[in-house]
Amino acid sequence: MAQAEAFETDFWKDANLRKVWDDIVPGAPRKTIPYTLTKEAIELYCRSVGEDHPIYFDEAYAKTTRYGGLIAPPSIHILLMFSCTPADDWMRSPGTLNAGQSWSYNIPARPNDVITLQARALDKFIKRERLFVVHDNVFFNQHGEVICSGRGQTIRPA
Amino acid sequence: MTTTFEDLNAGDAIDGPKFAVSRESIRLFCDGSLDYNPLHLDDDYMKGNFGKTNFGGIIMHGMNNFGLISRMLTDWAYPAGAIHRRLETRWVKPVKPGDTIQPTGIVKSKQVTKNSRWVLIDVMVRNQNDEKVATGEAMVEFPN
Repeated sequence: MAQAEAFETDFWKDANLRKVWDDIVPGAPRKTIPYTLTKEAIELYCRSVGEDHPIYFDEAYAKTTRYGGLIAPPSIHILLMFSCTPADDWMRSPGTLNAGQSWSYNIPARPNDVITLQARALDKFIKRERLFVVHDNVFFNQHGEVICSGRGQTIRPA
Repeated sequence: MTTTFEDLNAGDAIDGPKFAVSRESIRLFCDGSLDYNPLHLDDDYMKGNFGKTNFGGIIMHGMNNFGLISRMLTDWAYPAGAIHRRLETRWVKPVKPGDTIQPTGIVKSKQVTKNSRWVLIDVMVRNQNDEKVATGEAMVEFPN
């Protein structure tokens, strides 16, 4: 898992450097990093959710489709959320509970795309004693085209 | 039979494949998504309480549900020349190793806009006890 080897998988490491609910400022951009999406990363993600459509794996088949080549599945943003953010991003805080998401898809991500993310907390609130943060995100390819955009809610560790 | 926009009706069903959840499948999703939150890895950590909630052990990523629903929608849309455009989900119940889950969809309505045609779909994921673990709505475009 070359991808995982280059990635800090211990989310406890430097956990104290991450913003807690009190520190998160709605509207303030999150730090993000460009990420080159490899065919191998797409294939690994696909395996993890059982994606087996040839449009993700078979170049010859993919060329016959409307996309003209291999693409990533729309839900690849699940991977991109972590690959486009640094280790001190608060989305990695241990105990972060996902409370729901909505995503809109414009064009597919493709192997070797250099993907960038614009992201921020949009809102935060307390409900039934739980600390919520709403985050919004837009992923772009190297041509400045929107791949997908989405909004989610997480319950922050107390 | 290939799905066409004209032939679709409210109430039409879409079935996704069953997915067996295990510690290994959850670990593979960690590697595939790079989400290594201890909620999904660390049994000792999960002995603790999260507010008023105690999960009693590791849980599957909520976004694993999202990925399975998305897979169902694209596998349904591609042969029809349609495009998966939107998915909104909420998590209803945690999923744990040993569960078997299955996404399904039900066509809710169709709508024609100035330049395209859209199908709105209610989606859900159920476990082996027929309990809903995730619900949501999706939007698939059938270009003219």
